[in-house]
Parts: sequence; C-alpha cells; structure tokens
Amino acid sequence: MTTVPARLPRPRMNLWRLEWLRLIRTPRALALGAVFVFFGLLEPVLTRYQSQIFRHVGNGVHISFPPATPAAGVSGYVGELSGTGLIVVVVVAAGAFTFDSRHGLATFLRTRIASFWQLLAPRFTVNAAAAAIGYLLGTLAAWFETDVLIGAPPAGAMLGGMLCGAVYLAYAVAVTALAATIVRGTLGTVGIALGALFLLPIAGVYRPIGNWLPSALANAPVDLLNGTHHLSHYLPAFAVTAAVSAAALAIAALRLRLREI
Amino acid sequence: MTTNGLTKDYGGAGLFDVDLRVPRGSVYGLVGPNGAGKTTLLSLLSAVRRPDRGTISMDIGRSQVAVCPDVPEFDRWLTAAEVVDLARSLVASSMDGQAVATALEAAGIADSAGRRVGGFSRGMIQRLGLACALIGAPELLILDEPTSALDPAGRAEMLSLVAAMRGHRTVIFSSHILADVQRIADQVGILRDGRLLYQGATRDLIDTYLEPSWLVRVAGDPAPVAAAMTARPWATKVEPVGADTIRVEATTVEAGERGIPAVLAECGARQVSCEPRAADLESAFLALTGANS
Repeated sequence: MTTVPARLPRPRMNLWRLEWLRLIRTPRALALGAVFVFFGLLEPVLTRYQSQIFRHVGNGVHISFPPATPAAGVSGYVGELSGTGLIVVVVVAAGAFTFDSRHGLATFLRTRIASFWQLLAPRFTVNAAAAAIGYLLGTLAAWFETDVLIGAPPAGAMLGGMLCGAVYLAYAVAVTALAATIVRGTLGTVGIALGALFLLPIAGVYRPIGNWLPSALANAPVDLLNGTHHLSHYLPAFAVTAAVSAAALAIAALRLRLREI
Repeated sequence: MTTNGLTKDYGGAGLFDVDLRVPRGSVYGLVGPNGAGKTTLLSLLSAVRRPDRGTISMDIGRSQVAVCPDVPEFDRWLTAAEVVDLARSLVASSMDGQAVATALEAAGIADSAGRRVGGFSRGMIQRLGLACALIGAPELLILDEPTSALDPAGRAEMLSLVAAMRGHRTVIFSSHILADVQRIADQVGILRDGRLLYQGATRDLIDTYLEPSWLVRVAGDPAPVAAAMTARPWATKVEPVGADTIRVEATTVEAGERGIPAVLAECGARQVSCEPRAADLESAFLALTGANS
C-alpha cells in the first residue's frame, strides 16, 4: 500500500461520459459504424452490377433487370433500417440498458442515483445518437457511391430519409429501454425489443393505421426516393413515434423504480 | 438507524419482525448462518428492496448512506480511478479529484488507479467497491461480507480500516467470519431463519451466552485455592482436573477475571498459568443458536 495519495487528473467522469466510453472502449461504436457503412457501400454496387452478378452465378439462366436508377441504388441500403442495422442497434442499446442483470453493478448505480432518469437519459441519448450517426454515415456512403456508379439521387428525398431513419432508430432504442425493464438479461431484452419492432409493422397492413405507426418511418426513405410520398406525409408517424418513445422511456423509469434487485 | 417490525417474506423464508437498533458511530456486525437473512436485511437497509411490512428510520439522508455489496461489479473497460470518479460524480460532485485519490489510497489500490477493472482480481474488486463506498464521506456505511474475497493481509487491512471508522461514521457489516466481527464490531446482531435472535454489545453477548471458565494451574497443592474459590459467590463450579490444576466456572467473564487473581493472591498461591476457555463470539453464537434451536 502506498503512503502518499497519488494526484489524479481533474474529475471527468459522469453518467454521460460513461456512455461515451462504453461506445468507444468496446466494439459497439465500431459495430454500429461498420454495419451501416458496409451496407451503404455494398448495396449500390449490387444494384449497379446485378445483371453481371446474376449472369455469373445463374448457371446459364438469363435474367433481365431494368436499368439501375439512383433510387434503387439507395433503396437496398435503406432496407437495413429494418434488418441487420436495426438488430445491431438493439443489441448495442440492450447492453447499456440491462445494468440490472449484474447485481453488483445494479447496487452500485441504484444506491447512488436520485432518479432513474439519471441512468436512462444518457443511455438513451448516446445510443440513439450513435445509431443515428451510424445510419447517416452509411447513407452518405450509399449516396456517394450511387452518385458515382448510377447517378445522383434526389438530395431532398435523401435528407428527408435520413431524418426518418434517425427518428425510427431513436424509437428502437426507446423500445429497447422498455424491454430491459421486462426482463433482466441482454438476450431476453434483445428478443423482446426485436419482437416488438418486427411485429408492429404487421398492424401497418391496415392502411389507415399504417400511416401513423413508427414503422412507417422505416419505409419512408424508399417512398421518398421513389416520389411516392412527400415528407409531410409522415408527420403523423413522426408525432406518434415521438410520443411512443417518450412513453416507453417514462414507463421504463417507472418500472425500474418498482423493480427490486 | 432503527427498524421496526421489518419483514420481507419470500414464502416462508426471508426476514421477519426485525427491530434493529444501530447506535450512531458504532460498528455493527451482522452474523448468521447461510440463508439467515443477512443480505436481505442489508438490501432493505440499502433501499434496493422494499419491505413487506415495517419501517426503517434514519436520522440522515439517503445520500449519506453508502453501500458495498459482497460482490461488487463494475464495467470492465473503466479504470479504477474512473470508477471511483463516477461514484464521486454521483454522490459528491463538489469534491475534487484528490478525493478520488484518497479513497483509492484508503482502500489500498492507489497503485492500480490507472488500470482497467477487467484485469482485477476479486480481492481488488472488493477493495474498489470499498473505495467507491468511502468517497463522499458517508455517515452510514453498509458492507456485505467486506472481507470475503481478501487474503489474510488484505483482511487485516480491511478490518483495521473499518475499525478506525468507529466514532466517525456508522458501519453495518455482515460476515460469516465471526472472529472478524468480534475483532472490530462493538455491536452485534445475530440472525437465524430471518429473525433477530440477539443484538447488543459484542462483549455482553459473549458474557451472557457463555459459562465463563478457566483452567488455573498452580505450583503445589491446588486444594486450598479450590476451597477459597468455592467460597466466593461468583464461582459457580470449582473442580480439580489434575494434580496441580483446577477448573473454575464463574457467573460472568468479568467476575472471573477479577476474582481469580484476587483469590490466588489471598492464598499466596504461585500461579503457573490461568487459561480462559475460548470466550469468543463463535462460542457465544453457537451457544445462542443452540439454545434457541
């Protein structure tokens, strides 16, 4: 044991920095960025060269594709909002929200906070921001490559799609926060969150409801690129998504307060 | 801190009607067999669980209570200094970085301040948990099995650290190592099957639940000494156990400790040895729990 306390740098830690360090000192940030950028770079290539690819793997079967369009080049990437990208976002967020799965860690945090918002706010904000940044980086990669290989996609639709995607991913993080209060483990949390996120679009089959559901935002980037809808068409979905996300976080805070460890 | 009728029922197991009295500035040792309810009681006091019935009263705010579980856990990718600094930011944000260094130093892990927690042994994690509990100078410290993962030297350091807190802050700690409790706790509570069988001064427990006895060996014939001892009101039993040795039982430890030397002196006997029967908390614990079984 030393006898003279070592001088340390000025205090820097807080619950916000904790979440930042969780991203950069673990593979979380890398995973988020890599998965979106990978698909952002891959999808325009697949779209541009799909005829050639199928000619090589088609065993002589010839398939005719329509000429690649900028909208088609980006649309394949946008599908990751409800596919691999969404799964990675939920897994990363679940790791942050399932602090109650470790009794010692839960005791450390729970006996030192004044409100569960102290825990939820930075976890939600940082994970939602990281997911949005990852998605935006992937979109920019897809945009750039589509522009080079196929042609420039409409900028307004691209920006509108980015907004819709970022809001949808924030909603996915809020759903994950709520799922973490239903079960304690990371795997269970991921399962419940993905189940809710994947099943909700089924209700959207009924058109009048579908336009209001958060899942409408996941499909919005494609519809915006195709010119099917204008961004204003999604205002109800924006409002519902924001309300549901806020409600999910509020219920999560309440359930955490009622939960014993 | 006091509790009244504190009850947490897990279908017959748990904690029942516990009336805890923890004097300010005391070191209160909580002992009991596995499943006695120690961790449940500490969880209720820490407010990470809620009682089914009963109340907990404290004359300090919750922010003045620090808790260290038996197996502290932290994010593996944080350094020890960052963990303690995080605790500082939550409970004592006005304190500076020197408070972090002091807490790490007090817990004996200042040399590892810059190391990531993922590489720590369980003993070091336990020390880190204590460092987190110490920061902010809490009025009440709740420690669940604070020495369970420590080597003998670490245990001694930890016990000394806790013992030094007596008078400055209140400490409630649980342990299954009765010798540790006896060494540092001035107050003790004994739990069994979720019920508080005894609480009070550690020394009183030992005095109350033991039949204090000593083996007194003298040079020469012990008979005159035995006769003199028998005549004393505090001596409950005196019997020879060898050619030069008698066994003396007294009403209390204190009566024997005072009376035996006095009788030896009166008789002019030459004392070779006076060996007390092991009057420790373990014996008292066994006597108490055995008497109530």
